[in-house]
Amino acid sequence: MFSFILKRFAQAIPVLLIVITGAFFLVRLAPGDPFSAEKALPPEVVKSLKQHYHMDQPLYVQYLKYLQGLLRGDFGPSFKYPGYSVTEIIGAGMPVTFELGFYALLIALVLGIGSGVIAALKPNTLQDYIPMSLAMTGICLPSYVLGPLLVLIFGIWLEWVPVSGWGYIPGDKILPSMTLGLVFAAYISRLARGGMLEILNQDFIRTAKAKGVSKPMIVVRHALRGGLQPVVSFLGPAIAGLLGGSFVIETIFQIPGLGRYYVQAAFNRDYTLILGMTVFFATLIILFNLLADIMLVWLNPKLHRSAK
Amino acid sequence: MQRTGENPTIENAVSQAAPESGTSLWQDAWLRLASNKLAMTGLCILVIIGLIAVLTPWIAPYSYSDQNLELGAIPPSASHWLGTDTFGRDLLTRIMYGSRISLMVGLLATAVALTIGVFWGTVSGYLGGRADAVMMRSVDILYALPFTIFIILLMVVFGRNLFLLFLAIGAIEWLTMARIVRGEVLSIRQQEYIEAAIAMGLSKPRIIFRHVLPNILGVVIVYTTLTIPNVILLESFLSFLGLGVQPPQSSWGLLISSGVETMEEYPWLLFFPAAILSATLFALNFLGDGLRDALDPRAYRD
Repeated sequence: MFSFILKRFAQAIPVLLIVITGAFFLVRLAPGDPFSAEKALPPEVVKSLKQHYHMDQPLYVQYLKYLQGLLRGDFGPSFKYPGYSVTEIIGAGMPVTFELGFYALLIALVLGIGSGVIAALKPNTLQDYIPMSLAMTGICLPSYVLGPLLVLIFGIWLEWVPVSGWGYIPGDKILPSMTLGLVFAAYISRLARGGMLEILNQDFIRTAKAKGVSKPMIVVRHALRGGLQPVVSFLGPAIAGLLGGSFVIETIFQIPGLGRYYVQAAFNRDYTLILGMTVFFATLIILFNLLADIMLVWLNPKLHRSAK
Repeated sequence: MQRTGENPTIENAVSQAAPESGTSLWQDAWLRLASNKLAMTGLCILVIIGLIAVLTPWIAPYSYSDQNLELGAIPPSASHWLGTDTFGRDLLTRIMYGSRISLMVGLLATAVALTIGVFWGTVSGYLGGRADAVMMRSVDILYALPFTIFIILLMVVFGRNLFLLFLAIGAIEWLTMARIVRGEVLSIRQQEYIEAAIAMGLSKPRIIFRHVLPNILGVVIVYTTLTIPNVILLESFLSFLGLGVQPPQSSWGLLISSGVETMEEYPWLLFFPAAILSATLFALNFLGDGLRDALDPRAYRD
């Protein structure tokens, strides 16, 4: 197990390097530099600005300097928010986005696994059709449709919950977390149902039934571990999806998190901020994929043997 | 017309052996698909939406960019069936033009993904050995890259270019296709008819094109149908954030995004584009599931 974890970490490093290198050169290759958008700065000012950001040096020196900075956790300065470093901006947005992502993931797992398992227990009955139709609806209603609809219904017409913000008024965290969580609950529910159906048909479950083990016990003790494997392998992509979803949710609900900063940086063409956040997101996603992989092997020892 | 596929008794099995009365794999699959009501409904919806999108320039009631501020945001009425937006543009027309772009992105990007994925998967699966290991390892590495973020980066760096959008989205979606095709090719390669073809001295490209590809077509069709909704979602996601299609052009994502801004006063500007997007996604998903059940009996278990 330990050597497997080490091996996966070793594999993740080149991927991360590819991402950083790709992002860096892509941003530097962009037509026009960040100062060309400004209204006619005097040439001396541009020159000193470039000097300040080391942009007068050859590209490979800048690249190495950037890598060096990353190792120290320094993403460089932001072009458009003078006085702030990219690291500070990420630090400010991170707790908000993580909290949102955590609630959403919790909602997604509880609702998704719950409904998926319930559906798998009695396939092709009403108990299966109702949660699965809901799940299909969830998949066909992307967060940028579901979010505004929920706001309109529960926020504006019924006035049950606040419609924007994060931690300003009590209850304003409900809608964004629900919106982000529900979409993933739909996917997880389908995966959990599929995985559970497969496991519940296996011989060892029949043996357990024959031994007289109670139904809840069979599900909890015997079936869940195998049946939830598809859900676990979805967790890596799901985290990536949650980050992507947070772009939309944070824009709709005006939440000051990473996603909103990223989208605004994209609009402002704040190249250093975009670059820094891309690298940061990529690291996160690669890390979570890795964790999902490790968890998968832990759940299924068969994979472990073949991984060696 | 062919009833043999529905009731496989022994007599039918015998008659199927005779070439003139047998149902081919495709006829059989079609019969199974035709009996799936959800999938057929999906197919009908898609055909209607597709036809409307193709015919839009001739049948659209108004021009998609003509503004008429006096008409600003009127609710659905006899002259404007779905109402008008805040600039007085006819919403039905804008949705129709939007579907052209959304569907075009969906189809073209899927075509890019299909081409690369099938090529990569077939070659990798058929060659096997070291070539397979290298080609699949590279797919694994690309899988780990955060592509959504990269697309946003691309859009920022190179501007909001539709052509680039096709390429970028296609470049993500081919990975799963390559994996699925490879798995399929691996199992087909073990079949006796491939061995026979090798023994007959056929060249590799000939075997791949004549004997392998036709046999993975089913899986490819199914997965293609399930890729299109992903691509449409991705495009509307980008357009929603303002990083995709730019006004005065329209796409579903863009219409939803401007609908959200005014949903309190003019909810129909959000409802109609959202409804058409969801209907399309529903239709594609149901058709894809139906096709999977029809073409891949192994997956049809529960």
